[in-house]
Amino acid sequence: MKKITDEKFIVPIGPQHPALKEPGHFEFTVDGEIVTSATARLGYAHRGIEKAVEGHNWAQNLYILERICGICSHTHATNYCLGVEKLAGVQVPPRANAIRIILSEMERIHSHMLWWGVAAHEGGFDTLFMYTWRDRETVLNLLEELSGNRVHYSANVLGGVKFDITPEQKEKVYTGIDFLEERTRRYLKIMTEDETFLQRTRGIGVMTREQAKRLGAVGPTARASGVFRDVRIDSPYIGYENYLPQIITDMAGDLEARFTVRVRELFESFRIIREVLDHMPESELKVKMPRKIPAGNVITRVEAPRGECFYYIESNGSDKPERIKVRTPTLPNWGSVLATSAGHKLADMPMILVGIDPCFSCNDRAVVLNKEDEENTWQWKDLRQYGINYYK
Amino acid sequence: MMDKGKEPAWLQAVKTWARVNSICAIHYNTGSCNGCDIETLDALTPRYDIERLGIKLQGSPRHADVLLATGPVTLQSADRLVRIYEQMPEPKFVVAIGACALTGGVFHGSYSVIGGIDKILPVDAFIPGCPPRPEAIIHGLVQLMEKLKKGEPADLAEAGGTE
Amino acid sequence: MKENRLNLTESLEKAEALLSPWIGEFTRPDDHRLDAIVAAADLVPAVTALVEAHWGYLAAITGIDRPAERDEDGVPQGEDEIEAIYTFCWGPAIASLRVRVPYSNLMIPTVCDLIPSASFYERELMEMYGVVVENTPNPERLMLPDIWPEGVYPLRKSFKGLHEPNPRGS
Repeated sequence: MKKITDEKFIVPIGPQHPALKEPGHFEFTVDGEIVTSATARLGYAHRGIEKAVEGHNWAQNLYILERICGICSHTHATNYCLGVEKLAGVQVPPRANAIRIILSEMERIHSHMLWWGVAAHEGGFDTLFMYTWRDRETVLNLLEELSGNRVHYSANVLGGVKFDITPEQKEKVYTGIDFLEERTRRYLKIMTEDETFLQRTRGIGVMTREQAKRLGAVGPTARASGVFRDVRIDSPYIGYENYLPQIITDMAGDLEARFTVRVRELFESFRIIREVLDHMPESELKVKMPRKIPAGNVITRVEAPRGECFYYIESNGSDKPERIKVRTPTLPNWGSVLATSAGHKLADMPMILVGIDPCFSCNDRAVVLNKEDEENTWQWKDLRQYGINYYK
Repeated sequence: MMDKGKEPAWLQAVKTWARVNSICAIHYNTGSCNGCDIETLDALTPRYDIERLGIKLQGSPRHADVLLATGPVTLQSADRLVRIYEQMPEPKFVVAIGACALTGGVFHGSYSVIGGIDKILPVDAFIPGCPPRPEAIIHGLVQLMEKLKKGEPADLAEAGGTE
Repeated sequence: MKENRLNLTESLEKAEALLSPWIGEFTRPDDHRLDAIVAAADLVPAVTALVEAHWGYLAAITGIDRPAERDEDGVPQGEDEIEAIYTFCWGPAIASLRVRVPYSNLMIPTVCDLIPSASFYERELMEMYGVVVENTPNPERLMLPDIWPEGVYPLRKSFKGLHEPNPRGS
């Protein structure tokens, strides 16, 4: 896999990194400034979840699967519940579904805002990072108001949801969403008009429609290249058919497109939350579920903030699952990073990597570039600074 | 350089004051779900702003006093965690953030997880929660700072030493 | 520029038509799902048919350990097998190709020539179950740590932990 010749150097970007996301290891083969190929070594966050769930019962597994990811935990919980409820043949009451939708969309909002902050930080734009994360506190407050926790809301139980939305909470959500919508408009303006920001994003990391399809990209990464893939529209679940989001795509396929698609998607999220709150159905919050789930298998897909999250659940009729397969949205998107990084400068690598909104992120280690007799050790800061200076 | 034991009291006081009031922290994720990491990052943002306490996040272990570690320590990460710890200069401290860092959390018993940072590193402060709120993280860090203030230089060296 | 999408029934019928030359058995476990049992030797032509017709995209390759039933004396009543499910999604329609290979011959051909992004899924299948995917471009470990011993496959039912038995029962 690694070919070390006299002219090419391999830049490892290793699992420890100041941008504070999940660890992963990447190696970029560079020829001077230009990256010629890239490989990934994942597995730093491998916790043996698919094995662990086979040893716990259906109710316990909800809590394990929720903690696959802190940023899209509700998505995993919803996906799991959908599958198990289908196997058990129970019908979830409409109010529970409505609450699930509200939380899914709020999770999308929090995730996208988190991502803009981190992506801006990678691009050297720390001010935007601070602003978006401050505004993100609004949605975290709302989530805490509804569920009691800012991260890992545990709203789902098998058969429905745990808590209801009171009229006072509804009012708070409306106010919060209004504020966020106004802020999102501002961020959209910055992302499409700020000259320095555009220099780091326009025309960088272009992935064409054919490439995106061939590489199997999903989620906003694919939609930014003009591929119409959104599970909420293709295969609606938990009642999305009543509040169909409009598909947001962009033909450019570059980093700017990936930014703007995510921002524009949020306007749809705001609209859906308002519509659901306006028309909340009255019903119970959950139905009783059997302890042993009938044998069978089911495939469920849910649109996580990063793309399609795929679950295959098989039951053997007992109180423990036979097999739960989780395919998270970042896995197919890695292929797109490794393919589109070739031909770009090393300084663009952080932005391209973060452009897919990875849930396993690449990160830092000191890098030793041997150029003839000189030895030069670069820290991540240096690499980023280099990127910032390059574009001045 | 004078022997540590023979340093005048005023010098020790200045060192302690500097150590406590400008903590350089480095963060490492040993395989967590990101929940604790985003709450740690949140502590940096304007609402909680731990920089006003003098705590700043650094990029390199060589510049750091405190290691903020999250995650249940997967087998793949264990070696890297120890290497980062070894690269930190003395005196150094470790803070374990989140239920997974304390005992492995929901992943306790999994084949791929060691389960708890204190199994491989000496930990000075434990912050429970899944994930702990930024307020809890700040509370834990303040407790660490209190501990630093009270400690004699000899104690500090012991607390931060590797076995 | 929406793709020319068929509706659900037409999509599933089209998949059946494309796959029929190689399929032993079709079932419809759900109104939007099609399951097809295919032999390992026919996997590549079946996948080629779907890819050339642009029938959706490969969503996942799921591995499942299927040990044979054992009687009271622990004697296996058949061959232990590993099943690999190749799931394709097109809009709401889901088509799964199920391939079973016995422990005595755990070989499946690669589909990476047709679908490059399948590499990650194949790597996972190999390291978790011990299936050999022939000619896969990158056979390196994906998820398991570097220190993981060779020949130990965690997702097989027989795996009970690296050291002592796991008190939590996984």
